Amino acid sequence: MTPDQIDAAFAALAHPARRAMLARLAAGEATVNELAAPFSMTQPAISKHLKVLERAGLISRGRAAQTRPCRLETAALKRVSQWVAAYRHLWEDSFDRLDAHLKAAQATKAKGKPHARE
Amino acid sequence: MPANDRPTAPTGAFLITRSFDAPRRLVWQAWSEAGGLQAWWGPKGCTVAVKTLEFRPGGFFHYAMRFPDGALMWGRFLYREIAPPERIVWLNSFSNEGCGITRAPFDSAIPLEIVNEATFAEAAGKTTVTLRARPHGAAANEVEVFEGMFASLNQGYGGTFDRLAAALAEA
Repeated sequence: MTPDQIDAAFAALAHPARRAMLARLAAGEATVNELAAPFSMTQPAISKHLKVLERAGLISRGRAAQTRPCRLETAALKRVSQWVAAYRHLWEDSFDRLDAHLKAAQATKAKGKPHARE
Repeated sequence: MPANDRPTAPTGAFLITRSFDAPRRLVWQAWSEAGGLQAWWGPKGCTVAVKTLEFRPGGFFHYAMRFPDGALMWGRFLYREIAPPERIVWLNSFSNEGCGITRAPFDSAIPLEIVNEATFAEAAGKTTVTLRARPHGAAANEVEVFEGMFASLNQGYGGTFDRLAAALAEA
């Protein structure tokens, strides 16, 4: 995944209609008409959203059938999710150390060490 | 029972909360002084060395991260807002030795810049730190992403986005 693609994936996920389309596709392939059904959106508007998802690598579209069914591509979604999980780990680890640091700072203070330059 | 002294953010932005058994004054100190930041901030296993700390809006916290395998990476905070002792807003990114912004050296599939907001609330001698974060930078609407992503996907699946992606990946 290139930097442009991760940015595109984040941008693509920003729209609730596109997330709903991904959710639908998580249940299996779907045609444009099937994806459009829950929305009061024109066909061109639906196609625009699908292009955004396709460019971000989040979906692919069949070439053979006339209906060109859409399919979820999990790799891009997984990368986004992995980053989110990694960022959470970073903060959990940092908070663990902050907790230890604060305990040590208070223990030092309790022993009566002066804080002359506070 | 948690004391809800303010409403939970409805946005579903990336959110981590931790309660520390220390007065807010001390927690703030750990976030605003080089010795404190060096002691706790950073990825697991790395040693952080502070090169610059300008704790003021527009100032940088520029640091080196030395990993156990010898790898050296640089990172920076660009402070946006500082409201002692309650709130800090900053942009976090990887950087080079000259404090110029860079992509993550090990993986390009990481947002260029993350906007973070930390708030500090004290009650009964304990301090609760609440951190919200979202991608920021290149794509203007990146900022919206997390707000909607977690809220909608969580509603739709009754689970976390991580679990959804994991499930999707296995499918």
